[in-house]
Parts: sequence; structure tokens; C-alpha cells
Amino acid sequence: MKKVKKEKSWVSGRGVTYTISDKAAIGVKDPYVAKKLDEANKLLRKLKTPLPKT
Amino acid sequence: MKYEVYKGVVASKDFNQFDFVSHGKKGPICKRVAFTMTEMDNVFNLAFGDVGDESEFDDLSVSDNGDRNKVLATVVDIVTTYTDRYPGRWILFQGSTESRTRLYRMAIGLNLEELSVKFQIYTFIEEKLVHFDKNMNVNAFLIKRKNA
Repeated sequence: MKKVKKEKSWVSGRGVTYTISDKAAIGVKDPYVAKKLDEANKLLRKLKTPLPKT
Repeated sequence: MKYEVYKGVVASKDFNQFDFVSHGKKGPICKRVAFTMTEMDNVFNLAFGDVGDESEFDDLSVSDNGDRNKVLATVVDIVTTYTDRYPGRWILFQGSTESRTRLYRMAIGLNLEELSVKFQIYTFIEEKLVHFDKNMNVNAFLIKRKNA
């Protein structure tokens, strides 16, 4: 595992260390993630306006 | 912002899944934030919830561990970290229950001024995207880092 240190957390105002795992995300193989993704896609399909330009 | 966040967050190697442990009155509870690509270009869905013994995800669980603010602050910190790496990505999230949606709405509304410094925050009204305002009764949010 590799540790990645953030200089300062915007949320806490303190330094935060994140550890990077050697495993990939489970992603849509997890039924719940797949269900939530399906809900998100249904919402996005109904959208009648494009994403705002940034 | 000056919110306490959990340490010891573990990110997957592809940076699409983040796990951390909530420590509260019911003991340690594993939490997960997962980002998945949607059908819309550059929009990623955020799923959040507890992780069971088999590493399955359940965002319907109500752990009531007495550390709600710290958990929500940790999720915001994770979103910030994720969008540090992927500043051009939109993040979509919606509560899995009415009470959880209400919690998200309240948390964003209470911190809208500070969050708006860092993020563009939109919501869905009648199938259109509009800027979120704290008085809106909405069910889903779409956010993106500013100046990306």
C-alpha cells in the first residue's frame, strides 16, 4: 500500500493522509452500486437542459 | 472549513472507491464512498453507505453511530480529494431515503456559502438543472469543482 499525504484538508484545515490500496474499486459488480448508477442514469436521461458550461 | 474528519481513509488504486471507519457509540462501522461513470459524458455517480461483512455495500443502512457530522465531513473531504484529481468531472448524488436526502439538503444548505467557494452546486427541478438554493426541496445534486 502506498500512502499519499494531502498538504492540508480543506474541510478540516489539517493534514490528511490517504492510503492507496492495491485493489481496484468493486464498481458495478456490487449490486447496490449498480442500482444507484441505474437511478442516476434514469435521472440524467430525463434532463432537458445540457450540463452548464464551466 | 473546520470540521473534524476521519483519518485512515483507504482509496482503491483506481481512485473510484474510498473506505473509512466510523468510530461511535455502536463501535467501529466501515463506510464506503464509490464513484461510477454514468451514461452522460463526464458525469459520475456517488454512492455512499455502510459496508457489510462480505464487503457488500448498503446505503440504506442507518448506523446511528453518533458521529453524523464527522462522517459527512469525511465524505466532503473525499469528494474534494477526488475532484483534486479529476477536476473536470461532475458528481451526481441523491439520498437513498427521504430522511437521508433531507440530511444532505440540510448539510449543504447550512454550509452553502463555504461549499460554493469550491464547488458549483446544481439540482434537478422539473427535468432542468438549476443552481441549488438552501430553501429548495430537492432530491438530487450535481456538483463540479470551480475553475476546472
